[in-house]
Amino acid sequence: MGGVISRRNLLGGAAGLGAAVAGSRISKRSTAFAAPNVIQDTGSRVKVLYWGSYSDVLGEAEQALVKMFNESQDEVEVEYQFQGTYEETAQKLTAALQAKQAPDVSVLSDVWWFKFYLNNTLAPLTDLLAANNIDTSDYVDSLYNEGVRNGISYWLPFARSTPLFYYNKEMFAEVGLEAAPETWEELVAVAPELVQKDGDTITRAAFAHPNSASYVAWLFQPVVWQYGGAYSDADFNIMINQEKAVEAGNFYRSSVVDGWATTPADPETDFANGLTASLMASTGSLRGITTNVGDRFGIGTGFLPKVENFGCCTGGAGLAILAGSPAEKQEAAFKYIAFATSPEGTEFWSQNTGYMPVRKSAVESETMQQFFTENPNFKTAVDQLPLTQPQDAARVFIPNGDQIIGKGLERIMVNQEEVQPVFDEVAATLTEEAQPVLEALAALQG
Amino acid sequence: MLGRASVADGQAVDAVPSASPQTRKRAFWRQEWFLFLLFVAPNFFLFGVFSYWPMISNVYLSMVRWDMIAPVKTFVGGANFAYLFGSDTFRTVLKNSLVFTLGAVGGALILGLATALLLNQPLRWRNGARAVVFAPTLLSGAAIGIVWVYIFDPRFGLLAQLLKVVGVSSPNWLTDPNWAMPAVIIVYVWKNVGFSTVIFLAGLQAIPKDLYEAARLDGAGVWWRFRSVTLPMLSPIVFFLVITSLLNSFQAFDIIKVMTEGGPVNATNTLIFFVYEQGFVAFNAGRAAAAALVLFVIMFGVTLLQMRQGEERVHYG
Amino acid sequence: MDSQGSKPALPLQLLSYALMALVVVIVGLPLLWMALGSLKTNQEIYTLPVQWLPSAPRWDNYIDAWNAAPFGRFYLNSIIITVAGAGLELINASLTAYAFAFLRFPGKNWLFLLLLAALMIPEQVTILPNYLTLADVFGQSWINTYQGIVLPGASTAFGAFLLRQSFLSLPREVLDAARVDGCGHLRLLWDIVLPLARPVLATMALISIVAKWNDYLWPLIVTNTQLMRPLTVGLTYLFDQEGNTRWGPVMAASVFVIAPLLVIFAWAQRHIIEGIAAGATKG
Repeated sequence: MGGVISRRNLLGGAAGLGAAVAGSRISKRSTAFAAPNVIQDTGSRVKVLYWGSYSDVLGEAEQALVKMFNESQDEVEVEYQFQGTYEETAQKLTAALQAKQAPDVSVLSDVWWFKFYLNNTLAPLTDLLAANNIDTSDYVDSLYNEGVRNGISYWLPFARSTPLFYYNKEMFAEVGLEAAPETWEELVAVAPELVQKDGDTITRAAFAHPNSASYVAWLFQPVVWQYGGAYSDADFNIMINQEKAVEAGNFYRSSVVDGWATTPADPETDFANGLTASLMASTGSLRGITTNVGDRFGIGTGFLPKVENFGCCTGGAGLAILAGSPAEKQEAAFKYIAFATSPEGTEFWSQNTGYMPVRKSAVESETMQQFFTENPNFKTAVDQLPLTQPQDAARVFIPNGDQIIGKGLERIMVNQEEVQPVFDEVAATLTEEAQPVLEALAALQG
Repeated sequence: MLGRASVADGQAVDAVPSASPQTRKRAFWRQEWFLFLLFVAPNFFLFGVFSYWPMISNVYLSMVRWDMIAPVKTFVGGANFAYLFGSDTFRTVLKNSLVFTLGAVGGALILGLATALLLNQPLRWRNGARAVVFAPTLLSGAAIGIVWVYIFDPRFGLLAQLLKVVGVSSPNWLTDPNWAMPAVIIVYVWKNVGFSTVIFLAGLQAIPKDLYEAARLDGAGVWWRFRSVTLPMLSPIVFFLVITSLLNSFQAFDIIKVMTEGGPVNATNTLIFFVYEQGFVAFNAGRAAAAALVLFVIMFGVTLLQMRQGEERVHYG
Repeated sequence: MDSQGSKPALPLQLLSYALMALVVVIVGLPLLWMALGSLKTNQEIYTLPVQWLPSAPRWDNYIDAWNAAPFGRFYLNSIIITVAGAGLELINASLTAYAFAFLRFPGKNWLFLLLLAALMIPEQVTILPNYLTLADVFGQSWINTYQGIVLPGASTAFGAFLLRQSFLSLPREVLDAARVDGCGHLRLLWDIVLPLARPVLATMALISIVAKWNDYLWPLIVTNTQLMRPLTVGLTYLFDQEGNTRWGPVMAASVFVIAPLLVIFAWAQRHIIEGIAAGATKG
């Protein structure tokens, strides 16, 4: 989709074109608006089109949730359509917005929603929240706050996850660890005992890192926080090349240089096959890891290890309403969002998918408590949730920020380059890429 | 231009009865022009709408800054190109494209020709073998990715086990910047060799048997028959395959996306992947368009070169 | 290399068989692994070193895959898209190739280069403009319609190029003789050129069918609803956003996506081989 514009935009972009062209554009647009489907459905339910990224098991849960909503009332009817991965959904939405064929509500992941917010295409939700008497303080704070700009909410948490520490219980028992390490120091201390080698090849590592494509920048983020640093502050001042973040980088680099951590093609497969004793991975992977390990060994989970501080970030996706939809549809769409993120909705969703419950009150319910006893590892993740923080602007708000940082991490871990110069370069790139965002923000607020 | 492009014209001229009076001839020509236009019109019309037009707008886009959603595009002149040519990453990307294309085209064509020659012999079960060789081209990328991740695993993968037999330890195929490119090329060749094999086979079928008989009677050996009959008679197909394989491999995307996502450390980041990354992931339409234009110019240049040099050596029936 | 010659000596023949076996093993092993994977549990798939045989074949993977999404409908859509797309490509390729091979036109070589230029425009460049074009076709939206999926891929430079090359290699005497007999261009194309070029035509049809059947990105972008989607997009209904994909059903679905193509391959191959017989007599 890279280099592309619409014919109309091209014409519109060139100055001084005749009125005839402008006229034809307007008439086309007005015909597009002339027949909105809703109004034709007079008297019947308002139809809401909902685009999402969930298929297979997750898709079934999503369909079930939509069905429950449609059966729970007779004003709104939601149609759910799967549009591919988070990335593909965002790409489709981009195209659909230009063609004025966008849905009313869409799933958008942590790194994508801001792009649409910046272009004024997301509807503000604050009034709708108030009109539906929703107590926003019941949403898990870090999750809710991530979707708030200038006091207005645009993106409500739905399918959220966080990093979690996973370990192989048997291997940890061999070196005398009965639980997840509280600090990275603890892990480093036993790491040499966990490692096994065949010649130069590490056949069993103490820890495994993903690559940039598998979002190493997401998992490194809390480590930077643990060292007291950050990728950036909320105003896009880049801090990844400052002392604390560089210390964290040196820790990551040494994990590989010292030979106790690897960077395999797929860390979760390595873990399931006993090729690494531990790793950090999404809470969303818990279901898959559990299945793939089967009864080969016991899986232990824990909070992320600490350094100076504890640090853990949020992740995953939320729901947003498209500003181009008619008010009536926006209201109807919000009714669905309210349902899906209600304590009952989020309980159903999280028990069927492994995503985090987004409401504080959901955690205390009886069904949830029972679910925890059956799934103790899931409880670890939920217990960690209140301690999480929203992500740094550099990763989620700068276009491609995640990959820019991730590729820098590959350089220090795979190529074993020195941390400071690499992070300086990363910081320079991030600063440069942040410029258009800052300009757009200024335009939006000014 | 296009060295030997007059071949086709020459042939058509031969076919015109030269005895006809000049006026009739002109009318005939005009009729032929009209017919030519009629025949090519649907194809070119669709290309006009769905290929050339996007490419023209791409030229414009390469000179703007645009995030693909904003209503406004900022004109920045040559800034996108300046960025590309001033960037180390882009130089790596250009180099990667070259290495990938040479390896992929060379591998797929040479192995494809060898396989076609082999499977053109009167062997039993050759139809089954052809089906196996062609099958990888039928598969979609994602499922292939997971298979090859297992084959390349440096500790337990199939390749590692084979290498162990010869006493060599396996490289970290997908996680070592020096080995990721060869790994990706191997998979590309594996997936596409069936394609060139099938086309070579079709070309081999068209070679009249009596040419071989004649060469045999002249006492030509196997190699000489290959040089004097097979290769010349195959040259139109070789010419076709060289050009299309070059263009295809410059645009090879699926395998890189599935296997390495351009990594590690940009080791397999090719031009087409860069275009994708800038456009689809970073939503930087201007930069993506500029890179796409660079890619287009390279492909156009390579094709022009091929047509000039290549078609002179092509032997048409 | 000369299939039509008499049988080569025994050692050479043995060598050929050995090489053929080698090729089949190298190309076939990953395929076998996939096919076997369709009968395994995830745990068996995620085992290193590779576990070749499932401990108990899990045929349920096929049922799970089939039930995960409306694959019946996806089949229907794939067939419609492939027949229409490949059919239009064949027609366009034959006409264009004939024009470039046998008809005169001023500046034809530049036009040919323009044709080839279509092969140099990556999908990444065309997707968004084409989406916008189809969103407003004289006031109508062709998004999420069959014509919207098919039309952008109905033209072909690849096929036209391939057929032109093979048309130009046809024995000139046959064509000249037909023209002297007063054969018009349409009849020449239909009665003489196309039948003579049958092996290449079958090859092109095969490649075109495979390409349409396997097309993924454009059908994903241009369809919005389950009802309109082809098999390749349907396959993504089996993937999990969080990476917890159940690979057994995915591989089972891959098997039923490619099975029809293997049948097509067998069909095309027969035509390619019959073509030899025809070609051998032609002269």
